[in-house]
Amino acid sequence: MNESLSSEPIEPDDPERRQFLEKTVSIVLGGAMVSVPVGAGIATLLAPLSSDKGGSLKVRLASIEDLPSDGTPKLYQVVAEKKDAWTKYPNKPIGSVFLRRIDESKVVAFNSSCPHAGCSVDIDSDGSAFFCPCHASSFDFDGITQGKSVSPRGLDELEVDPDLLDKGEVWVTFVKFKAGVADKVEV
Amino acid sequence: MKGLFSWLENRTGIGAITKEALFERVPGGARWRYVWGSTLTFAIMVQFITGVFLWMAYSPSASTAWESVYYIQNELTFGWILRGIHHWTAQIMVVLLVLHLVQVVIDSAYRAPREFNFWFGVIMLFITLATSLTGYLLPWDQKGFWATKVATNLAGVVPLIGDDLQRVVIGGADYGHHTLTRFFALHAGVLPAALIALIGVHIYLFRRHGITEAKPATRVGALYYWYLLAVGSAGLAVAAYLFRNSNPSWVLWVPSLLAAGVIVRIVFLHLRGKDDNSARRPKRDGMFWPDQIFRDAIVCFAVLGAVLFFVFWKGTELTSPADPSQPYNAARPDWYFMSLFLMLKFELFQGEFGLVLGAIIVPGILSSMLFMMPLIGLKKVGHWVNVVLLYVLIGGFVVLTVMAFKKDASDPAYIADVNKAHEQAERVNELIEFNDGIPPEGALSLLYSDPLTQGPRLFATNCASCHAYGYDDGGNALDGTNKKLSDKQSAPNLKGVGSREWISKVLTVEHYGSDEFFGNTNFKEGKMLEFLVDTELEEEDVTGLAAALSSEAKLKSQSDIDNKDLELIANGFEWMGEDELACVDCHKVKGEGGKKGPDLTAYMSRQWLVDFIGNSSHERFYGDDNDRMPNFLDAVSTEGEIKQGKLDQKSVELIVDWLRGEYVDK
Repeated sequence: MNESLSSEPIEPDDPERRQFLEKTVSIVLGGAMVSVPVGAGIATLLAPLSSDKGGSLKVRLASIEDLPSDGTPKLYQVVAEKKDAWTKYPNKPIGSVFLRRIDESKVVAFNSSCPHAGCSVDIDSDGSAFFCPCHASSFDFDGITQGKSVSPRGLDELEVDPDLLDKGEVWVTFVKFKAGVADKVEV
Repeated sequence: MKGLFSWLENRTGIGAITKEALFERVPGGARWRYVWGSTLTFAIMVQFITGVFLWMAYSPSASTAWESVYYIQNELTFGWILRGIHHWTAQIMVVLLVLHLVQVVIDSAYRAPREFNFWFGVIMLFITLATSLTGYLLPWDQKGFWATKVATNLAGVVPLIGDDLQRVVIGGADYGHHTLTRFFALHAGVLPAALIALIGVHIYLFRRHGITEAKPATRVGALYYWYLLAVGSAGLAVAAYLFRNSNPSWVLWVPSLLAAGVIVRIVFLHLRGKDDNSARRPKRDGMFWPDQIFRDAIVCFAVLGAVLFFVFWKGTELTSPADPSQPYNAARPDWYFMSLFLMLKFELFQGEFGLVLGAIIVPGILSSMLFMMPLIGLKKVGHWVNVVLLYVLIGGFVVLTVMAFKKDASDPAYIADVNKAHEQAERVNELIEFNDGIPPEGALSLLYSDPLTQGPRLFATNCASCHAYGYDDGGNALDGTNKKLSDKQSAPNLKGVGSREWISKVLTVEHYGSDEFFGNTNFKEGKMLEFLVDTELEEEDVTGLAAALSSEAKLKSQSDIDNKDLELIANGFEWMGEDELACVDCHKVKGEGGKKGPDLTAYMSRQWLVDFIGNSSHERFYGDDNDRMPNFLDAVSTEGEIKQGKLDQKSVELIVDWLRGEYVDK
């Protein structure tokens, strides 16, 4: 039934022109008609490749007074409208961010997703560093890897809007980065 | 290369199998009439390929099935083509199945030793139909939902085990998640697996016994095939003739030309004094590859062409999401079940036993007759019985199908239902586009919070017993869904409520006292009409007052003129306060004035209307003067009693938003 299976048939006794024509037509048509359903299918399968990136999103997470003045990081959940294929979720947690107040005019924000493999980074038990429970990467409060960390880079710092910060509001541009590589690559 | 091939061959024997598969002798030479089995194999392969890719995007649950199919159809790259190919190939497969069956019966290919192959073929026919039936439900749209409901209700009438059978099939007492998961598992798992296994056996047996070669002994015998073809196509043409008025012209022309072509061919063969090539036997045998495959390939290609033609020309329908509370009376099964569908309407099949007879016993007998064919056909006369039987079956199928479609095409209620369903399907697409996605609860929730969809329905059931919503050409009051009111309206027409035109009419004596407004209410005897008669408002006054009052409604449709006519509106408000008209003696205007008549502050605005419909007996509105208008929301009477409302807050808001034209629109 499957004409394209044998592209070099050896017909023992009859190498006529007619047969050659028949074979050619069969193979060409066979290939064409299999490629239509397969082609449409592959196109849908590969559709995610051409869809947009997650993109960045600017969100208000806190006001500056909410953050401890001694520089201890505090974790905030980022809730946003999210579209998943056909569904639009009005309020969906899409990630979380550590905010750390350096002084009255400076706040640092880290994406809490570990740059190693994407686990959720925590603060270690003695409260002195960031610690990832999955593969034991450790980061100091400036986000830099310390000790025997397997993470290829430090925690991903996010942009805090300086103008809004002057008004006491912490607005962060939330971006996700690719895990497992040394450079910060947006996904 | 050669080394690699023999290495592979030694270990798998793949070359030998391929040779075996391809270099099969075709006794008597390759023929066009042998292609149907191959076209079916091709169609099934297409279904498997497209089905697997659809599977990757489909989500079987009551709140995601329609939504994922919507996504495939409207947003996924090439998704509509993929779904279209799957849908239309399924349709064409049924035709190919019939052609294959006809070919087998005409050539008496079911005779010993090929009985088992015939029986497997008939089983596969039923598996294919079951796959179609289960697939019809999967989009979870109104059409599939209600049509399949009929089919599973029929399972319920099976004697003794009916109820349990139905429960098992739909996964519970009612349609829901488990109906879909079960149907999907059947459609994409159980039935295709059974089909693959049976195709394997079918092809194995076919190769074991070889092609059934027609061996004509006489000249007429050689033309026998063409005569049967002529009868078949002429039958189709007659059926098409019956159907000529309600369909595109090709429905008539294609079978007619086919029949004419076959007859011309027969005449030509007779005139030439020769028979067709089947009489020139023994002819040199052909080979499956490439002689037969060449023909198979060309016909399969034509089949694919036909599928693509339908995909692009007709598209693939997705009606609005399944709504168990909104019966869709125009739901029909796929066309090849329409004959059964119509049969159940016959008088013969009335009543409880009639349903069992029509839905189970008669189809059971017909399929048993199919199964019996190899036994009936043992003798030559039996073969003729089979041929006639098959033609009668197909003829009956065609005639019933045509009648069923004809009946629908001439039924205004059916056509109206279909049009309404199309409108609703378009509406839900509009809402999804506007919302930029579907809420997590599913697409139905969009329709349920859409004033344009719900407003007319709620109005028709709750308001139309008194109020009208516009008039038809004959001046009959309508109920909001464009149906005539069964009774004369007893309360105002609410179409365009709050607009300048509507308010102008309220301020004009002949309208105020007419049937269209308060003519059939207590207010016909009220102070307002008295005032209108005494005052004899000038047209100019009416224009100004209407503009002013209407501006309070803040209608979306009037925002332009409300912003433009600031002076006119200001004048209108001024006149209301002046001694001559003194509206404020009875009414509150902008928060100040009398309390005898309804408060005109924010008159006909969204909140005003919601409050008014909620409780028009409130002292802010009619107070004790209220005629028959009930309170639609919970209200507290002056004695402190709680009077239960007929509707909830959301429904009243939907009615108000619809009346005010506040909804998403293109």
